[in-house]
Amino acid sequence: MDHGKETILELEHIVKRYINKGSFFSTHGKDVIALNQVSIRVMRGEIFGLVGESGSGKTTAGRLIARLEEPEEGEIYLDGNEITALKGKALREFRRKVQMIFQDPYQSLNPQLSVFDAVSEPLIIHKIGNAEARKDSVWQAMRSVGLSPPDDFAHRYPHQLSGGQRQRVAIARAMILKPEFVVADEPTSMLDASISAQIFNILLEMREKFNVSFLFITHSLAAARYLCDRIAVIYRGNLVEMGPGDEVIENPKHPYTQALIDALPKFGYSGEVKRYQTLLRAEREASEYVGCPFFGRCKVARRPKCGSEKPPLKRLGGSHSVTCFYAEPGDKTGSGGKK
Amino acid sequence: MALLVVENLSVGYQTQKGYLHAVEGVSFSLGAGKSLGFVGESGCGKTTLGMALMRLLPSNGLIREGRILFDGEDLLQKTDEEMRQVRWQGIAMIFQAAMNALNPVHRVIDQIAEAILTHNPSRDKQEAYEQTRGLFQLVGLSEDRIRDYPHQYSGGMKQRAIIAMALACKPKLIIADEPTTALDVLVQDQILEETKSLQREFGISIIYISHDISIVADLCHDIAVMYAGQLVEYGATEEVFDSPMHPYTKALLSSYPTLIGEKSRLVPIPGETPNLIHLPPGCLFCDRCTEARVSCRSNPPVWLEITPTHKVLCHQCGKHCGE
Repeated sequence: MDHGKETILELEHIVKRYINKGSFFSTHGKDVIALNQVSIRVMRGEIFGLVGESGSGKTTAGRLIARLEEPEEGEIYLDGNEITALKGKALREFRRKVQMIFQDPYQSLNPQLSVFDAVSEPLIIHKIGNAEARKDSVWQAMRSVGLSPPDDFAHRYPHQLSGGQRQRVAIARAMILKPEFVVADEPTSMLDASISAQIFNILLEMREKFNVSFLFITHSLAAARYLCDRIAVIYRGNLVEMGPGDEVIENPKHPYTQALIDALPKFGYSGEVKRYQTLLRAEREASEYVGCPFFGRCKVARRPKCGSEKPPLKRLGGSHSVTCFYAEPGDKTGSGGKK
Repeated sequence: MALLVVENLSVGYQTQKGYLHAVEGVSFSLGAGKSLGFVGESGCGKTTLGMALMRLLPSNGLIREGRILFDGEDLLQKTDEEMRQVRWQGIAMIFQAAMNALNPVHRVIDQIAEAILTHNPSRDKQEAYEQTRGLFQLVGLSEDRIRDYPHQYSGGMKQRAIIAMALACKPKLIIADEPTTALDVLVQDQILEETKSLQREFGISIIYISHDISIVADLCHDIAVMYAGQLVEYGATEEVFDSPMHPYTKALLSSYPTLIGEKSRLVPIPGETPNLIHLPPGCLFCDRCTEARVSCRSNPPVWLEITPTHKVLCHQCGKHCGE
């Protein structure tokens, strides 16, 4: 694929901390570092996957990019413009360019708005077109996500739609402003497999048609492999591995990524499966913020370095990078430094 | 002899719009120490089936016909009191989102011991607590967390506690309804590994209900694919996955993204599931089926035996085999 000539989004050393004020009885609770020095770069027209378990900070990253929240430290650039300080007109323009698709289509749609109202609302907010033109764009957007004929759906309310149809309304609503960047936060985790496949294919189509860039947030490596050009794996707020999707999954270098791949059932594949066995069954005592974030559960960790020093992101060749002291380039298939 | 034999079971719900056919004419059997996985998408009746086996349907639920033979006895003929004896001691269930099933105001150990004491009133307390400690060890919960309350546990630990509770009365059969759906993959993997080894160790039979084909494929000897309340394909796991016969099974398999092996474009299943209140006369899948003929629409399909351990409910499959 020839996406990826030009950077559209850049996160630089992002830190996001949630201050925990503690309860009524204790004066100060423990702060949660949701993102710790995370840097990623997404190219125009690319689908970039952010993969992690619950609580890894992947949703926080999406919310920061859509400027639903602001980072403590670091900068976020869209099209070369820093976004954390945007105000007024510039912020409004930014809100048009960046859209979000949420996880739960049962909650993200207003139950009192019909499909037509929901999809046309962004146009009204941004004062785009007159009634006639709006109707045309709504019809077009609905067709492009497979809600056709639009007449059948336009006057229905969310409760009259299935989960898959609702998520399509959410996508139509996001796409109608012709955004440059879309954050899709687990858009299919509430849906059945056959419906998820429809949504995946719609996202791929949107990319082909409009050259939109996506940040696809997911807990499923298999879904990321299917959809994404590049993948970043995130563990407890720290980026641990990043690279082309196939490369990261077929040739993972970080012990955490390896453990994730070990843990997934290898469905639909009858060949010999390599086991990495990097997960420590009994978690060892480790400080959360000193040393490697995975030290507590890593079987291949070596003392004292892994427990006391935070590994930097190192490049293994091509665009595959990893934050592990002991990861080596090269592999069984020999594709390590090829791409 | 099989531990559990279900014959022509039909379950429905009385709703405002009419009778909803949640499970229609389901038959299967499960041997001792074996595991059977039910897969299907939401609304296909798999949870209703599990609840019906335990006779725990909500008040508008109704078992219309069929037999459930557990250990040779028909569960549908039992009184409520007799059924109470079967539950937990004969058949235990791990519910969906089971971690919310723990009572937040009691210590976990007390809750498990209570389950033991309720079902074995003759046991003394000391003994029950001793057994609970053993169960904790068995499911991999650490000794020093034994006096904790549920809120002090992580999701995975709560799930382990629930499994310990299900094992407490040494049931012959465990029905697990999406037991790992809410868990992260690393935790899910550990729980599944433990479930497998517990099953081997004690020879417990397991019915595993899940929407996730990959887990069922990994865990179960046999597999039953459900669609719109019916079983559509049933057989040994390898046979069903290696040579799926029913168009729905095939479609379901090709809509799953895989982790390794060939990467091909996912093919979604067009259309939607039929209305379960007004069932169409013919095959329930025919509107979404790529292989359907005119006759599929009017005649209900019949079971076809591909091999002694692989059956499919389809008109068209038979024709292909015959040719």
